Amino acid sequence: MADTRTPVGPPFWRDVRVLRIAGQAVFLALVGLLLYWLYLNLVTNLRRQGITPNYGFLSRPAGFRVSGSAFSSRESVWSAVLVGVRNTALVSGVGILLATVLGLVVGVARLSTNWLVRRGASLYVETFRNIPVLILILFMFKAVTLRLPPVTDPIELPGLVMANSGLWIPWVSARPGAGAFVGALGAGAAAAVAVAIWRTRVQDRTGRPHHRLAYASGVVFAVAAAAYVVTGAPVASDIPSHEGRTVTGGFRILDTYFALLAGLVIYTASHIAEIVRGSIQSVPRGQTEAASALALSPGQRLRHVVLPQALRVAIPPTGNQYLNLTKNSSLAVAIGYAEVTRVVSIAIGNGNPAPQMIAVLMGIYLTLSLGIAAVTNLLNRRFQLRTR
Amino acid sequence: MLARRLRLMGPLLVLALVATGCPADEGGDGGDGGGGNLLQTITDRGQVRCGVNDEVPGFGFVDEAGNYSGFDIEFCRAVAAAVTGDAGNVEFRSLTSEQRFTALQGQQVDVLIRNTTWTATRDGTEGAAFAATTFYDGQGMMVRADSPFQSLEDMRGTNICVLSGTTTELNLETQFQARGIEYEPISLETNEAIQPAFIQRRCEGWTSDRSQLAGIRSAWPETEGGPGALRILDLTMSKEPLGPVVRDGDARWYDAVNWTVIATILAEEHGITQANVDQMRQSQDPDVQRLLGTFRTEEGSTFNPGLGLPDDFAYQVIKQVGNYGEIYERTVGPNTPLGLERGPNDLWTRGGLLYGPPYR
Repeated sequence: MADTRTPVGPPFWRDVRVLRIAGQAVFLALVGLLLYWLYLNLVTNLRRQGITPNYGFLSRPAGFRVSGSAFSSRESVWSAVLVGVRNTALVSGVGILLATVLGLVVGVARLSTNWLVRRGASLYVETFRNIPVLILILFMFKAVTLRLPPVTDPIELPGLVMANSGLWIPWVSARPGAGAFVGALGAGAAAAVAVAIWRTRVQDRTGRPHHRLAYASGVVFAVAAAAYVVTGAPVASDIPSHEGRTVTGGFRILDTYFALLAGLVIYTASHIAEIVRGSIQSVPRGQTEAASALALSPGQRLRHVVLPQALRVAIPPTGNQYLNLTKNSSLAVAIGYAEVTRVVSIAIGNGNPAPQMIAVLMGIYLTLSLGIAAVTNLLNRRFQLRTR
Repeated sequence: MLARRLRLMGPLLVLALVATGCPADEGGDGGDGGGGNLLQTITDRGQVRCGVNDEVPGFGFVDEAGNYSGFDIEFCRAVAAAVTGDAGNVEFRSLTSEQRFTALQGQQVDVLIRNTTWTATRDGTEGAAFAATTFYDGQGMMVRADSPFQSLEDMRGTNICVLSGTTTELNLETQFQARGIEYEPISLETNEAIQPAFIQRRCEGWTSDRSQLAGIRSAWPETEGGPGALRILDLTMSKEPLGPVVRDGDARWYDAVNWTVIATILAEEHGITQANVDQMRQSQDPDVQRLLGTFRTEEGSTFNPGLGLPDDFAYQVIKQVGNYGEIYERTVGPNTPLGLERGPNDLWTRGGLLYGPPYR
């Protein structure tokens, strides 16, 4: 009689489930061993040359200056790296904003019914998509900003001073009472948001157009004007003016920053334009026809029907382009803008151990990229079709 | 059944290989590791890999045909002559100032002869060892000849170009901070990047070792006014002792490079030149005999100080490359476009700093 009390399966060394787990465990162990061996290799060789394989050097005084900033050579190496991160964030943040705006405009322009506009946009996209971004940045630096006259004899336009060391634009300067003014502006912004929500509710209730943007702007302006008068003109305009070798006043945009930003924005915008065009063309034709049938103007059609649906498709690849822009900012080493890769290179050249510094650099880029990816994923989830 | 067993063997085999090939204390590829292997490796290989500069005329420069020439290049060839017997057994590797120490530590070059200043941090944290100083230099400032700057104080508020990863960059900061002068540093990677910035007046001052500035000035293009368009200020901002650099931890190789340099200095002290070295082999002076490898004791054995170099290494160096004075005159001396006087780079008997320890 067959023994039916306990199920008899294959022995464990032939059992597929055990083998699967064992196989994965063995593979993990192999990878772990390999990584550990590489690490030991590095540490042993560093020790043999008398280089300490730890991160203590980050608190040593840097000894070098970071051009274009107020960084003092007495601060630590880690502070220098943070200055680099700030510069990278500056160029990446502004670059992402400008590239999105320009890319959107050019992308929509590529589908325009106006022949000149359409051809012009196509020319822009086809040219700048096919030039390596490094060459574009070098061109902007060597052929544009460096060709400007020196600061002893700059180009002076009303409110602008342009020289090969930078571009000075009009700015605001703070006078006593500026703090209260900024506080009032903050309160005005909060009030504007409240007004916008109220107007939306009015529309939901009565069906009349909300004009919430107009109302909110009106509130902000009214509060700003009142605060300006009450606090006694706390901000004044700061126009740059040039004497001898210095330019006083205004806000200075570094020449290298400008060249890097221009190169990155022009390049990335050409890619984003293609993404926008593709995403608009992916919206079914029926939507456009239905919108025309409802007597919406082309502008309204674009704004209320086509673009919201196109945006959904465009977000993942555009997030990709943002990541590319952030990483491409490291090409600033070619023109000397002190973003984080350049600062790390200078630090390595001045006696800080290379393996640890590169590890720090990679960690920084990883953090930045994961941050941008997180925001993109958030947007993606929010705009996704709920039915899926 | 058999197939499944073989598939299992695969990963186990790899695991076994990794475990046996994992000597934790030796590490590396074992090539030039350990203390004292590099000299043997180079002798076996028959070639010295020398890290050099390729954009400073007179010290390390490469022309369109790819030929290297300069003061440091000559010492590379001297080391090759000493170790392998032929001054042509050199592989030159151009390095930027930022890359040079990483390349040395990463064993991509055997010796770095690239106008590198001897500092404590480089001895310590960078894991480098400096052989005898070949050139006593100082840091200077170069400006346009038509500019009004005469001293460092005049350069208040100006932009100053400097190579990154150099002692120059650090000294510039120290000197200007000590005097309380504000300035804006433009730190670029190569002299090739600094030159257009200087021409476009992006920076008004160019600071580097005075010897480098002399070299750059001597090669200044005629379209920009030639050497006459530039002026090197008459001040020295720091001490810059330049010399060959090797990795820490290899005493044998260090001795070999060190004594090659010293041999050229001793040769000049004894008046041995490329032209008369063959005659000097017949000399009865025991110091000269020891240096050139012709010394014999009563038993007939040669003088071997245990450096690991061939007995006649100094003879090969002097015959193929020359003594210190000849190297200097040929590359940076008063009759070259650089036109540098010996100054501190002269024998101690003539008031300079070159003082060779006795070879005995």
